[in-house]
Amino acid sequence: MGFINFLIYLAIMMGIFAILSVSLNLQYGFTGLANFGQVAFFCLGAYATTIVTLTFNMSFFLGIVASMFLAGLFGYIMAIPTSDLREDYWAIVTLAAAEIVRIFFLNENWVVGGGPYRGGAYGVGDIPQPFRSHFSPQAYPFFYLGIVLVCLLLTYLIVNRLTNSPFGRVLKSIREGNDNLAQAMGKDVKKFRIKAMSIGGIFGGLAGCLYAHYYGFISPEQFVPLETFIVWAMVIVGGEGNNKGAILGSVIIIIFDSSTRYLKDYVPIKQDTLASLRMVAIGVLIVIVMLFMKEGLIKEKKRIY
Amino acid sequence: MIFTQVIVNSIIRASELTLLSLGLTMVYDILKFANFAHTEFAVVGAYLAFFLSVTLGLPTVPAAVIAAVATGFLAILIDKAVFKRMRNSAGIVIMVTSMGVGIALRNTVRAIWGADSRSYTLALERPIVTQWFRITSLQVWIIVVGAAAMILFHLLLHYTRLGKAMRASSDNPELAQASGIATETIVTYVWFIAITFASLGGTLIAMETYIVPYMGFAIIIPVFCATIMGGIGNPYGAMLGALVLGFAENLGLYFNFEKIFNLGGLLPFSRDLFIPTGYKPAISFVILIFVLLIRPRGILGKEKEG
Repeated sequence: MGFINFLIYLAIMMGIFAILSVSLNLQYGFTGLANFGQVAFFCLGAYATTIVTLTFNMSFFLGIVASMFLAGLFGYIMAIPTSDLREDYWAIVTLAAAEIVRIFFLNENWVVGGGPYRGGAYGVGDIPQPFRSHFSPQAYPFFYLGIVLVCLLLTYLIVNRLTNSPFGRVLKSIREGNDNLAQAMGKDVKKFRIKAMSIGGIFGGLAGCLYAHYYGFISPEQFVPLETFIVWAMVIVGGEGNNKGAILGSVIIIIFDSSTRYLKDYVPIKQDTLASLRMVAIGVLIVIVMLFMKEGLIKEKKRIY
Repeated sequence: MIFTQVIVNSIIRASELTLLSLGLTMVYDILKFANFAHTEFAVVGAYLAFFLSVTLGLPTVPAAVIAAVATGFLAILIDKAVFKRMRNSAGIVIMVTSMGVGIALRNTVRAIWGADSRSYTLALERPIVTQWFRITSLQVWIIVVGAAAMILFHLLLHYTRLGKAMRASSDNPELAQASGIATETIVTYVWFIAITFASLGGTLIAMETYIVPYMGFAIIIPVFCATIMGGIGNPYGAMLGALVLGFAENLGLYFNFEKIFNLGGLLPFSRDLFIPTGYKPAISFVILIFVLLIRPRGILGKEKEG
């Protein structure tokens, strides 16, 4: 049973991170927006649902709506002042914005209701699991996996629909550095960037919501910039500009991440050192893919009209 | 804290930031990409200095210098192995790659020295206390090194063949190459100088506080902010940006915003309003957003690219 539970855990993590990487892929892979603050959406989604379901004791569905709304709104607000900036400015502004979000939750414990040893750096626990009472402890992980997969499927279908539509083609023309082309077709590039960020934010928030209810505990520690770069590794390895690639990338990175966790039983290396080496490998992997197989595992289908 | 002390602290911070922002802007100027591994090189340099001075027992100054030179060579090595293959790629592609390099560097440091914070065993000494401020001799060093770096850089850029070649390749690489300037050699020098400065900056910051593998993330936002504020690719802008940011961070925490909120005593509202210390990292970011809104290419940035 232990092993099956572990597989379910892996599958749930893959699903949550796949939503995150599909969201990042929409921003980077399709629109060319180097969002180095993807974790902000994840963080806001997780905190929004925690506040709604735990502090205000409202339903899980309201939690999902709040998560998606707050993270989407954040993407919108973040994109307004930055939407005409160059990609390198964009990267640092988003990285900084995500750090501000984290610093906010680190300093303000009242947002989650406050109390001693609660909120801020202590994190928040006891986040309710939706429909927990209807299932036995053995069956519940399967049910939650179902929720995650349904969310992933919806995310995939919606984003895929978007990227294959005229809207998606405008995004791709923006990515190709062809602002002039998009403008010549009468498209306001700025508006499209803002839209891509907002939609990316909505799905990033959804992933955060699912994560919070699955773990039952969140703290600012879980939303450090490193998480953003793990999602980046997923998009890059899987193949930028391809939604299936983003999902495949998250499966591969999660398997890699989890399988090496168990290496400590076989090699005489301290756990902490092993964790560092794992991240070294992820960094090197990003470099190698960028150098030698820029399109990732699943190439973008480029149609010629 | 008295006001003169705030000024001294601001100058110290500006000197540290200058060492890092100068190198970042140099690499950008020549290679046209934002190097997200820049602050990680500073961390590598700080740890090498730590290893040389604490573990091997070298005196502090030679340890910091040797570490800086070694880190400079490491940067050249990484450039030859990775970035050289991407000279013709888009800036965004190289930027993402540099992020991968940064992750690898940071975690290599963490694998070797562990995740805990450490401090250099510097001799404890009484700070120099005057009527207006107090300053440690290390902080005097920081200001001296920062100022020296600025002067050296100015001389290098305007009075040496290398500096002229650098400016030429920045303006127009093809033309520079056609005029017989070996662009690749320039790139190698730029990496070496930029990362040596960064390493010194990292070492000094670590000596003043402590050293952790995640230091790179703690300084990346202020360093980029200083660089972008002045106009990325412009060395004098990087110096100015560092100065503005050094003052902003310290004055921001010193300033009582009460008078702004009650309009100088007009409104019946009197409560001390300081920016909480926990938000210090946010100050640089807020300033960055304002600068970019008003002047999207920085204070000294060119209005349009050629």
